[in-house]
Amino acid sequence: MAADIRLRHVLLWGLFIAGMCLLPFVTTPGTLRTVIFANYLAIFAMSWDFLTGRTGYVSFGHPFLIGIGAYSTAILSYRFGVPVAISIPAAVLITMLAGTLFFLPALRIRGSYFALVTLAFMELMYQLVQVIRPDITGGTRGISGVQTLTSGAFNNFYLSFALMVVIAIVLWTLTRTRLGTALSAIGMNEESVRGSGLNTTKLKLFSFMVSACVAGIGGAFYVHYLGSIAPRALFDINFLFTIIVAALIGGASTIIGPMAGAFFLTFLLEYLRPVLPGSERYFIYGAIALVLYMYQPKGLYAIVEDLAGRVRRKPTQDTVRDRAA
Amino acid sequence: MTALLEVDRAVKRFGGISAVNDLSFKVEAGESLGLIGPNGAGKTTVFSLIMGEHRLNSGAIRLNGTDISALPTYERIKRGVARTYQVPRPFSEINVAENIRVGLMPDSLRLMLTEGPDPDAELELARSVGFGPADLERKPSQLSMGDLRKLELARTLATAPQIILLDEVFAGLTVGEIAQISDLIARKRAEGMTFVIVSHDLRSLQPLIDRAVVMTFGQVIAEGSFESVMSDEKVRAAYLGH
Repeated sequence: MAADIRLRHVLLWGLFIAGMCLLPFVTTPGTLRTVIFANYLAIFAMSWDFLTGRTGYVSFGHPFLIGIGAYSTAILSYRFGVPVAISIPAAVLITMLAGTLFFLPALRIRGSYFALVTLAFMELMYQLVQVIRPDITGGTRGISGVQTLTSGAFNNFYLSFALMVVIAIVLWTLTRTRLGTALSAIGMNEESVRGSGLNTTKLKLFSFMVSACVAGIGGAFYVHYLGSIAPRALFDINFLFTIIVAALIGGASTIIGPMAGAFFLTFLLEYLRPVLPGSERYFIYGAIALVLYMYQPKGLYAIVEDLAGRVRRKPTQDTVRDRAA
Repeated sequence: MTALLEVDRAVKRFGGISAVNDLSFKVEAGESLGLIGPNGAGKTTVFSLIMGEHRLNSGAIRLNGTDISALPTYERIKRGVARTYQVPRPFSEINVAENIRVGLMPDSLRLMLTEGPDPDAELELARSVGFGPADLERKPSQLSMGDLRKLELARTLATAPQIILLDEVFAGLTVGEIAQISDLIARKRAEGMTFVIVSHDLRSLQPLIDRAVVMTFGQVIAEGSFESVMSDEKVRAAYLGH
């Protein structure tokens, strides 16, 4: 793959992975469980970002894709006794197939209309799993007793982190290729991309497929971590907004931003819990998100990038001053 | 000899309005044709029909004798036709080099992934429209209207067209910028590029074209040298309204 990757990128990724690998040795199992949730939220936020952050097609229906992945593996393994080594890849494939359904409206509509159609996908799925064959889907109560892949915070941390970091590196690398530039260009002006001789349908389908694949992986592994699945928690507007806010707080279209945003949001909500145990917490995170957008609409990623830029420039100014002296 | 581009009895209706009505004209290779007419004549619609951004109700668009009317825009571009827009449409959040890069990209996911950008080709294209190496890092928001037009032209040239359709290429430009863009078009003409140019700035357009087609209400009303069409009574009536 011909991606624009520099030595400093490799070093930063290496440092991040090394630091996270040491985390279980310096923190409590309780904190680790929070990190596990952050890892899964990061996967969902990156999936959303690869579609919406890049191409500008705002998805309000990502829980639909995540839910397909989660339900598919849960049903296959719990109801039909399919080994998870098969049910998880099958669930990812089924999610990608569902991603093509999700893609169809994008052939004709975009903007708020597309967002509303995708929201309808989520709502439709919520109703369907309750109505159609509740003996298989578990109806309103969902399915519990789904096989877990491993036990304990320690093992689940490494599993979720490995998944998250592999997905992050793959997506981040993709964004640094010419394909990544073309997908971003669609978000800026789709007509101009077409006017540059590129088949935007093919490009968008790729973006939808990758996004669905990541959502499927995240959804499938998440249900095998939780050991249960409930439609009300999965196809929920709060779950959807948590994914979107994580991506936007971190910085859409950057992959790393949504990952950082997921950690920021998870820990923010977790540390607010003792002070505000109820849903009031969401007011605080809403307020923080609002202030952040007003200060820097491009999120935490842009703030950090700006600070890093200033630090990098400073020695140059000092050098100029030294020379002048 | 087959014309490079042929618009043959093109009809385009939007609801009950005929924007283009039985319109025909040809452009020979290496020629520069001025497509002129009053506001609302249908000039931009003709460009959109040639590019496949709008579909014909009837008629045909031929490139080198091949009917391209059924092809999607990107296929037409691959065959050698490209356009610029009245209002430039840059990719606002990426720099000049990356804007040009999009034009240079092959329409293949595999090649986009496996092959990196070609900075030399990007620089060469940037230079060919008058940008310097320092301009490559600039974002569209830092460019003047003249520079935006140059950027759009560079991205268009990156698709290796045989013919370029320029829509209101002088709109919003200063006198100096008009001179720059005119020089650029003249240079490309000398290199053998074929153009169809739409402009209301007839004084700037005149030296850049070999021939003019005048249209109003979606139909051709005059065709010939710039001087001959400008002295045509129907053209005067269309422009002056009497």
